[in-house]
Amino acid sequence: MDKKKLTRFIIIFAVIFVALIVGIILTGMTKSGGHEEIGVVMKDSVLHERYKINLFGLIEVNPAMISAFIVSGVLIVFAIIVRIFVIPKFKEIPGKFQMLLEQAVELFANMAKENSPHCSGFIGGYIFVAGTYICIGTLFELFGLQASTTLGTSISLPAPLSDINGAICMGVLTFLVILGGGIARNGLKGLLKGLKEFSLPISMSFRLFGALLSGALVTELVYHYMAMSFVIPVLVGVLFTLLHALIQAYVLTTLASTYFGEVTEKTEKVKKEKKKKANA
Amino acid sequence: MTGVPLNIDWQQILLHLLNFAILFFVLYLLLYKPVKKFMDKRKAGYVEMEEKTKSNLEASEQKKAEYEAKLQEAHQEAEDIRRHALEEASAHAKERLDQAQAEAGQIIAKAQQQAEDERNRIVAETGEEIERLAKDAAKRAIFESTSDAFDSFLDAAEGKNNE
Repeated sequence: MDKKKLTRFIIIFAVIFVALIVGIILTGMTKSGGHEEIGVVMKDSVLHERYKINLFGLIEVNPAMISAFIVSGVLIVFAIIVRIFVIPKFKEIPGKFQMLLEQAVELFANMAKENSPHCSGFIGGYIFVAGTYICIGTLFELFGLQASTTLGTSISLPAPLSDINGAICMGVLTFLVILGGGIARNGLKGLLKGLKEFSLPISMSFRLFGALLSGALVTELVYHYMAMSFVIPVLVGVLFTLLHALIQAYVLTTLASTYFGEVTEKTEKVKKEKKKKANA
Repeated sequence: MTGVPLNIDWQQILLHLLNFAILFFVLYLLLYKPVKKFMDKRKAGYVEMEEKTKSNLEASEQKKAEYEAKLQEAHQEAEDIRRHALEEASAHAKERLDQAQAEAGQIIAKAQQQAEDERNRIVAETGEEIERLAKDAAKRAIFESTSDAFDSFLDAAEGKNNE
């Protein structure tokens, strides 16, 4: 493209852009969608009270539940394909895809080993799955898959953990894993250590829910106003979602492995170390 | 609405739990564990290889040290042999020199002795000749005149010398 053509292209693009903005302002269409108030939309994003999806004709569930099933289904199919076709062909010197898989596994395995050095086998696997689920689940909302609600309207499927039920599930399950690890390693002392962190399931659940919901709310807000629908969604929609996906996966896995490391640490060893320190 | 705030639904929580449990077992067994196992196996292989290399290196270092010691020993031995040969050669040369000097001394002594003997013999012979000539001259002097005797003495002495 020579300089003349480029200049012509920029001028045409600028004219169209300005004409659209002027049109939006002049026609008073700053509020789009028309039939729905922003408050109602945001409230529904938080509570999922209005739009339900029928699950195999058995029960009505929140849209995030369907998202969770889809994300899990995709991940399971991916795991099966990788296990059958890729892992048996692993080489000593890895290729690009093998390296990606190894990096992902090593990242969580090392995190588990660092934060819970005495018992890192199970928690490594758990944080690998949890991290993958949170990350892929959060990115899932970028695809904007449509589903039909019980009211007959179409809805874009949200991230699985933007539903409070999904977030509570992750928080409680993580707490149970930590508690279970403590009991398995230290018995009653481990149980007491785990129960000491009784606020953990609530804090974890609401941290996840709040973080993911904030992203969804900002995106909803941006998309609700037509004037904000230019360029901005790329930043707030895509970049925020990417950041949320990585940050939340990192936060939950780090917290889970750290607490797991604390409750599974042998009490005798701690006492001995304290004695040694005192003697030193 | 079930009356629980924030639309919390226990049934859906359990559904999420079931969903995640299935996902966990599948991903753990099909993805995490095999990849981890492969990585651990490879790591163990590398560790074993490293240990093997280390032990080989140690063995080669030990052999090198042994060879160096042997080389040093051989150098020392060669030096000893050389020194010994030098000492032997030096002793032999000294012996030969002494012998030559002794022989030379003997030759000189012998020559001196021979010269001394020759001188003594010549002196003795000359004395005898002088004695004989003196006796002849005395005999002539008795029988001839003094001048004749003297002339004849001189003639006789000249004749002897010309011989």
